[in-house]
Amino acid sequence: MKTLSIITGIIAGAALIYGTLDMPKWANPNSPASTHVSPYYLRHSVEDTSTPNVVTSVLADYRGYDTLGETTVVFTAGMACILLLRKRGRG
Amino acid sequence: MFEFICDHYNYWAYIGLMMIGFYAMMTKRNLMKKVIGMNVFQSAILFFYISMAAKDGATVPILEHAHNGHGYLPIDIMQYVNPLPHVLMLTAIVVMVATLGLALAIIILIYRRYNTLEEDDIIMQLRRG
Amino acid sequence: MVEQYPILIVAIPLIGSVFCPLIGRWKKTFCYYWTVLLLSASVAGSIHTLFQVIAGGTVYYHLGGWPPPVGIEYVVDHLNAMMVTLVSVVSLIVAIYSRPSVEKELPDRIIYFYTLFILQVTGYLGIVMTGDLFNLYVFLEIASLAGYALIAVGEDGAPLATFRYIIMGTIGGSFYLLGVGYIYITTGSLNMADVRELLPQLYESRVILTAVAFLTAGLAVKMALFPVHVWLPDAYTKAPSVTSALIAPLMTKISLYLLIRILFDVFQHRLYMEMLPISSIMVWAGVIAIVAGAVMALAQTDFKRMLCYIVVAEVGYIVGGLGLANETALKGAILHILNDAVMTLGLFTVAGIVAYKMGRHDLSDFKDMFKKMPITMSTFVVGALSIIGVPPTCGFFSKWYLVHGAIIAEHWTFLAALLLSSLVSVILFFRVIEIGYGFASSHAKHAHEGDAMTGIDEAPAEMLIPAIAVAVAILLIGLYNQTILSKVIEFGVPRL
Repeated sequence: MKTLSIITGIIAGAALIYGTLDMPKWANPNSPASTHVSPYYLRHSVEDTSTPNVVTSVLADYRGYDTLGETTVVFTAGMACILLLRKRGRG
Repeated sequence: MFEFICDHYNYWAYIGLMMIGFYAMMTKRNLMKKVIGMNVFQSAILFFYISMAAKDGATVPILEHAHNGHGYLPIDIMQYVNPLPHVLMLTAIVVMVATLGLALAIIILIYRRYNTLEEDDIIMQLRRG
Repeated sequence: MVEQYPILIVAIPLIGSVFCPLIGRWKKTFCYYWTVLLLSASVAGSIHTLFQVIAGGTVYYHLGGWPPPVGIEYVVDHLNAMMVTLVSVVSLIVAIYSRPSVEKELPDRIIYFYTLFILQVTGYLGIVMTGDLFNLYVFLEIASLAGYALIAVGEDGAPLATFRYIIMGTIGGSFYLLGVGYIYITTGSLNMADVRELLPQLYESRVILTAVAFLTAGLAVKMALFPVHVWLPDAYTKAPSVTSALIAPLMTKISLYLLIRILFDVFQHRLYMEMLPISSIMVWAGVIAIVAGAVMALAQTDFKRMLCYIVVAEVGYIVGGLGLANETALKGAILHILNDAVMTLGLFTVAGIVAYKMGRHDLSDFKDMFKKMPITMSTFVVGALSIIGVPPTCGFFSKWYLVHGAIIAEHWTFLAALLLSSLVSVILFFRVIEIGYGFASSHAKHAHEGDAMTGIDEAPAEMLIPAIAVAVAILLIGLYNQTILSKVIEFGVPRL
């Protein structure tokens, strides 16, 4: 089991490293990730949402639905812990 | 060659961290160590996302007020870090913490029932009936 | 209001689940009615959306009004509409069926059980509706977390089974997130349609190949493809009956739907006709899963565990069908997703009724079942015939399309595996029917006991009517399969 896991880990790690060979340079300002959608957020954040903090405006306005989902995740975990851990009644 | 390593070593570091977490999840026989390995694994993915948001010489993505108090300086996108991966990872951190909480609740249930957290002892208890 | 239906399907259960604990504090039994109310609203919304999509084509909904790729988008095309209707109707049936079982097995945890039930259905509905890769991850985690908790309150041994499920499920979700990260770093977008347009010029990139590999690996863990299926038998067997009836038909099928979405819609098929041998790997994985599932099901003495291995084999059918990648096989695979969800629901509801009556779900509990619970056993026979593949039940038609697709692709091993598993299913289910009719006992003992067991001790109506409804649905889907195929699935098959 131990050797199987080590071999799986090495194969997965090797596959991931093979994938990074074509990745953009670290901190490259012209990478596709930084030039496709993000300039829209930076340029229009103030006029659309009146917030200079771009992370807040993306989190709460442009992608607010993800934040609603994240709140639901916390709620689910809370309900799950109550379901699992509450000591049962006295009779 | 050295250039190439300098440009990509961050990705390799996070992959190494990920594989350490993966190894801990798969091979350790104590349930608590598996949970810790799971946490390390997910944290490495967080670092990976954050590292793709970086830009050379850029600052945090909060737009600066102009000096006279009205309006904002002309926005140069090269000056600010990419905000989207940071937002995604805020959500992923919350998901990670929720999963961790649930895993710990399950560990409490297992401990109440079997009085041990070693997987080998639990399997022996199950076998004995 | 009408054009807001795509979001209401998900939002009504999501917001309603917050009120469930409050309603439960007031009166415990109202949680059940609240759940049924919320899920009925989702069913109404999803049927309306289905008809809207059949009449007018794909429905797009931009959340918050932001156009994609800036904001999140819900895309409902034919495949989606079928899946969302399937998920909501199955959940409603299980919700109606659930009351006696929950009151017997978990009498002091009703309120929070139903809250998590609603949350899990919210997660499933969110997964099948969305058109954004990261939003999918968030709802996948909602569904997974609720599932872990619902399984852990089962019988003795459930927490350990859940722990193993948590470890493997987290690996699956994290590999998915890693794959999305690799896609994002090369394309810069998270919207599925946008990525589809940006990818073709990047097919040479090694990053994309790794992304496909890790997305597929993550989803393979979630859908219990052999050999990473090891979490499934323990988790679904030890869970409460209502939980297995909800999760077993849906979770694996939704992961298969995700595989179709990602491999055929986001990454076009050209990627792995030319670049990677994913097609042949998928067919061989399907063959191995079918054979392994069938063989391991034969060795079980516990009824629910046997059903779990059948689920593993069914996943193999669909993965193999997707791998064959000709149009007939794809039609068969998508039809089989629909059919298999309904068949598995039917069988797991019967297992739940047996557990309610007997307290256990062992094969020996089926003794003389035909005398005591004739209607339940009739629904069981319909489900069993569907898994074997006997017309006019729906299972026959999807298997027919898969066999046809295998012949077209000239993949004889897959054909042999399909026929072999039908044979094994015959053996499995006739064994149960034999025990149910009491053929196994000797004649002398039978004569003595015949007097004692004349009473019909049928299941309560709340559990029986959904089971009958599912059996009727199996027959109806089989009889009307041509309508379903021509109206919905024809357009839902991904373009090759």
